[in-house]
Amino acid sequence: MDVSVPPQPHPDLDSASFWTATAEGRLELCRCTACERWHQPPLERCRECDAATSFIPISGTGTLRSFIVVRHPAVPGYLEELPYVVGLVDLDEQEGLRLPGRLLDVDLEKLSGGERVSAEIVPLPGGDFHVAAFRILPA
Amino acid sequence: MGTASSNVSRKPVIVGIGRTDYSRDSGRTPLALAAEAARAALSDAGVPASDLDGGATFQIADSASPMQVAHAVGSSGLRWNIDLMGGGNYATSVVANSALAVQAGACDVAVAYRSLNGRSGRRFGRADGALRVGGERQFSAPHGYLTPPQWMAMWTREHQRVYGTTCEDLGRIAITQREHAGPNEHAVKRDRITMDDYMDGRFINEPLRIYDCALEVDGAVAVVVTTMERARDLRRKPIHILGHAEFTGEGGSWDQWPDLTSMYSHRAGPELWARAGVSPKDVDVACMYDCFTYTVLVTMEEFGLCERGGVGAFFAEGRATYGGDVVVNPHGGLLSEGYIHGLNHTYEAVLQLRGEAEERQVSTARLALVTAGAGPYGGGMLLAEDA
Repeated sequence: MDVSVPPQPHPDLDSASFWTATAEGRLELCRCTACERWHQPPLERCRECDAATSFIPISGTGTLRSFIVVRHPAVPGYLEELPYVVGLVDLDEQEGLRLPGRLLDVDLEKLSGGERVSAEIVPLPGGDFHVAAFRILPA
Repeated sequence: MGTASSNVSRKPVIVGIGRTDYSRDSGRTPLALAAEAARAALSDAGVPASDLDGGATFQIADSASPMQVAHAVGSSGLRWNIDLMGGGNYATSVVANSALAVQAGACDVAVAYRSLNGRSGRRFGRADGALRVGGERQFSAPHGYLTPPQWMAMWTREHQRVYGTTCEDLGRIAITQREHAGPNEHAVKRDRITMDDYMDGRFINEPLRIYDCALEVDGAVAVVVTTMERARDLRRKPIHILGHAEFTGEGGSWDQWPDLTSMYSHRAGPELWARAGVSPKDVDVACMYDCFTYTVLVTMEEFGLCERGGVGAFFAEGRATYGGDVVVNPHGGLLSEGYIHGLNHTYEAVLQLRGEAEERQVSTARLALVTAGAGPYGGGMLLAEDA
C-alpha cells in the first residue's frame, strides 16, 4: 500500500454526485426533494418521507463541534504535515448535520472548539478527487 | 433469555471458559488459536467436542469461521452458527445469541469465541496503490480520519468541553486498571504506572495518549453455553445470564451521532436494568469495555455505576477498586490484559463469579456486568452466580 497519499474515496451510486460536485469546486449534500431534509451520509431516498433525494449546494459554513490533533501516523497520507488537525463541523443548514474535515492553517495554541468555520474545496493528494477542508473564520 | 421461559430445563447457562496465551506475536493462525481456546473451554466444561453443535463469533475478516473451528476441534458439524461482521460491540452479542439459540433449541452446546492476531496480523489491505475507502468512511478517511482512536479522541474532547473532564480523569482509569493487572499472570502489561507516566505518554490522537488505548495482542477466548438441564451433570458451577441489552443507532454513523458525550449505553444501560430486574448498585464486578479509557468513563455513567461527569472522582476516591463500590476490570481490562476484542471480559466475569480468580478475586463477586462496544453501538450483559 502506498502510504504517501491519503485514503482515496470509493464512491458509490448514492455518493457519486458529492464527488462530482467537489471535483467541480462545489460542496453539495444530499437533500430530500420533498421535505428538504438533509442526509449525510447520502441516501437514495429520504428516511423521513421516502421521496427521491438530490444534491444541493450548501453554504459550507458551520461551527467547530470538536477536533483532534493527529500526532501518530496511523492513516496513510499527510505524513509531512504531522501533527495535523481534523475537525467535526456542525453545518449551518440543519441541526446535527455534520462533516468531518481537515482544518487548514490552524493555530493550535488558540484552538478551543466552537469556532466558526468555512469550507474550502482542495485537491486530495494522490488522485483525481477534491475534498472540503475547513478554515477558521475571523472572529 | 430471562425469566419468561416456560421451559426451565432449556434455560441457558455458561458452563466452560477457555483461552490461549496472549502475546505480541503468536506465530500461529487464528484457526489454531480458536481451536485451542474452544478445546480448553469444552474441557473446562467437561463436554466432549463431539457434542458441540453451535458456534458464534465476530470478526473483521481476520479470523476463522465457526465451521472451521468446530471441524478443527472434532465436532461433526453445527446445527446453528453465526459469524458476525464487526468489532467489539459484538463481544456480548455472541454469548447472548448463543444463549438464545440454546434456549430456543436451535442447538444444545454452543461455543462463542473470538480469535485474532490483533498485534502481529496485517491491519490494512496489501493492495498496491492508495488505500480506497467506501461506505460512510469515504467522507472522513480522505482527511486522514479513519481509525477508532481518532473517532474516540474526537468524542473525548466534547466530553471535556461539556463536563470539564480532564486527562487526569482518564489517567486514573488507566492507572487503576494497570494496578489490577499486577497479579494477573495472563496480562501482557503488569508494571505499575504513575500519573507522571500517564501524562508523559505520547499523544496518539490528542487528547488521547498511548495509555488510553487498548493493548493489541494475539490470542483467543472461548465460552461454552448449554442448557441448565445439561449443566446439572457438568463439573463447573453454571453461571447465569440475567439479561442482555444492546443498541445500535442514532444518526447512522460515528460522525452523525447526535450527542458526542453519550454512547450506545444511554439506551442499552437503562434497558438492561429493566430486563434483568436488578440495579447498578447490585454489581460487584464491572468488566467495562475499554478499547479506550474514555469508553469506560462514558459507559460507567450511562450504565448507572456513577453520576454523569463523576467518573474521575469515582476512580480518585477508590470506589472503582477493591474495597470500593465496584471493582472495575479486575483483570486489567483490554488496556492491560490485552485486546481479545472484549471477549476476555466475559472470561474474567465467569472466573470471578466461580470464585477462581485467585489473587485478584473480588470476595463479594455474585453479580457481574460485562459491556461491549463503544460509540454508536454496543451492549451490556449481566452474569450471576445464582439464577
